[in-house]
Amino acid sequence: MNKIFTFYIAWLILFASSFAFAEEYKFDLSEIEKKPYHIGGYLELRPILFGLDKDASLYKLKFFNRDEGKTIEEYNGKLQLEGSLEKGIARLFVRTNSDLKYSYLGWDHKTSIYEGYLSLKPSSSLSFKFGKQTLLWGKGYAFNPVAFVSRPKDPDDPELALEGYITASADYIKSFNGPLKTFSITPVIFPVYEHINGDFGKINRLNFAAKLYFLFYDTDIDFMALTGGSRTNRVGMDFSKNITTNLEIHGEFGFINNQKSKIIDSQGRISEAKFDARSYLLGIRYLTKLDTTYILEYYRNGTGFSRVEMEDYFSFINKGYDTFLSTGENNLLNKAASVTQGNYGRSNPMKDYLYLRISQKEPFTILYFTPAITSIMNLNDKSLSISPELLYTGITNLELRLKATALVGQNGSEYGEKPNDYRLELRVRYYF
Amino acid sequence: MEMLRIWMSVFTLAMLILAGPAQAIDGTQLLKQIDRNLNPESYEMYRKLINVEPNGRKMEYTFFSVKKGLDKLAGVFLAPASEKGRSTLRLGENMWLYIPNVGKPIRITSLQSVIGGVFNNADILSLDYAAEYNVEKVEEPGNEYLLYLKAKTKTVAYDRIKLWADKNRKLPTKIECLTEASMLIKTLYFKEVKDFGGGIVRPSVIETDSPLYKGYKSIMIFAKIKQKDFKDEVFTLTFMPNIDSLR
Repeated sequence: MNKIFTFYIAWLILFASSFAFAEEYKFDLSEIEKKPYHIGGYLELRPILFGLDKDASLYKLKFFNRDEGKTIEEYNGKLQLEGSLEKGIARLFVRTNSDLKYSYLGWDHKTSIYEGYLSLKPSSSLSFKFGKQTLLWGKGYAFNPVAFVSRPKDPDDPELALEGYITASADYIKSFNGPLKTFSITPVIFPVYEHINGDFGKINRLNFAAKLYFLFYDTDIDFMALTGGSRTNRVGMDFSKNITTNLEIHGEFGFINNQKSKIIDSQGRISEAKFDARSYLLGIRYLTKLDTTYILEYYRNGTGFSRVEMEDYFSFINKGYDTFLSTGENNLLNKAASVTQGNYGRSNPMKDYLYLRISQKEPFTILYFTPAITSIMNLNDKSLSISPELLYTGITNLELRLKATALVGQNGSEYGEKPNDYRLELRVRYYF
Repeated sequence: MEMLRIWMSVFTLAMLILAGPAQAIDGTQLLKQIDRNLNPESYEMYRKLINVEPNGRKMEYTFFSVKKGLDKLAGVFLAPASEKGRSTLRLGENMWLYIPNVGKPIRITSLQSVIGGVFNNADILSLDYAAEYNVEKVEEPGNEYLLYLKAKTKTVAYDRIKLWADKNRKLPTKIECLTEASMLIKTLYFKEVKDFGGGIVRPSVIETDSPLYKGYKSIMIFAKIKQKDFKDEVFTLTFMPNIDSLR
């Protein structure tokens, strides 16, 4: 009996251990079977709390006729769906983005196609894309002065997907032995008509853009250009290189011919300036032995406003607000609003910025946990935003991020005149 | 009799002289042999990377990679959904990461990790050992070779490596990755030798632990390793969004 029991126990242990072993090293080949189609995406919930600054000019511009208290809440939902279908050398890809927002203004929703194109790849060195696509050019992390054919990215969240434009493009790649390892050329046809890319610039124009890429002496080098009339002609270049295994440097330079800028003075007189703008960026990415990553970028925005121009804009808003309080008339505020959108109101509207992001991978060996702190400093008026964040990705396909942002600056400064003093945001994202 | 003894001594001496050079091991050649036994010079393969936490909780990643020659490697994550489409490229010591949402490749460093856990980029995008390391000496403890490797340049992820290899199969059984000061960073255990077809017989599992991550371990399981040749243009930044199309 004892023998049977011992045998049974031994068999059980053997079975259990073999099961554990099989469980531990399981690699089901059906997981890697390639399907001709793919559907995926993510669902995101993002509640935000804003702490309002009632003395700030942009608060007055936005909330002049309402009182929302000291804080406002905003609830954001996002569904980003993507699907692809492949057959032979052809691939159809679609990415849609649906935003649902509940704020002090009520419900708002918007669905748009971020990308939707047909790609043809007759060989590994040649491919074509037709349709809506995001062509993000430049090596900068937070800013890209040479991103001539894409929408501006948000330096507060530079890794967010951007909506593309309808274009036709090709990629031709050639590899070599020697100091020049790779060359590629990307020509782009960029139509701008009333219903096609109408928000890009002047309509009824067929624009052309191109990018040349070289991997030369282990350095990525790009040259790019845009012409055609919807926007003024522009040329640029960028580079990126690893100096050591833990230090990378990168830079961009963009030249915009006949850049136009709408300027409002403190009395509300609007004038248009025309000038050649030179923008550039220099940055490093440095990884320490303790797995801390530093990203530091200096950005010179050649299209930006001077400190005096920005102060005039804020003064005019304050004047308009005072007029509204005394007379109930909001004409001046409307005039200020008309030069805000895409002009004074764009991200980083001034000339000199410093971006610093410090992130620590898995401190105290807490796997999948990355705390980080990011700061964007306006060097012209010494105002800044500072954003600590905690990111956790330890549950498969779930990403949790808690982020706070404090805006610091004196009266008349960019961050000092933002409508809020701080914001607190939780982002829960589930990928499928 | 005396003559016989002299002849015997001369014969033994001659044998020793002849046998001497034959037994001296060419470490570099041995390392190259180990590299070739592990992978063909150009190949495609699938890997599953599993991070196991001390409480038994796991995170799994599926990765497809292709290699050409000594220093060209590219790969793409197939799962989980949060990582799908992320691709990596290595040309010598240059490494890039492409995140579909970001839409452009960014340069990364070999010590960084594109996924959390014990594996870093250099482990996932590893080149031939002989391409990155010189053999300083070879020992023969029991049925194994023990190779002491030193990085050829400062740009290599681990400064020193101790590699134990099975004498018969000339396949690694254990590797210790060390700093310049010989501090242990991680240990790789090669397990489950499997016939992948096409003459590729090699360990199908690599288990990794690290004193820097006590209680954690990472496992790499290999599948469908095939000798395959690719065009050089596949290993370029411009091609990175299309690596999945090679499957």
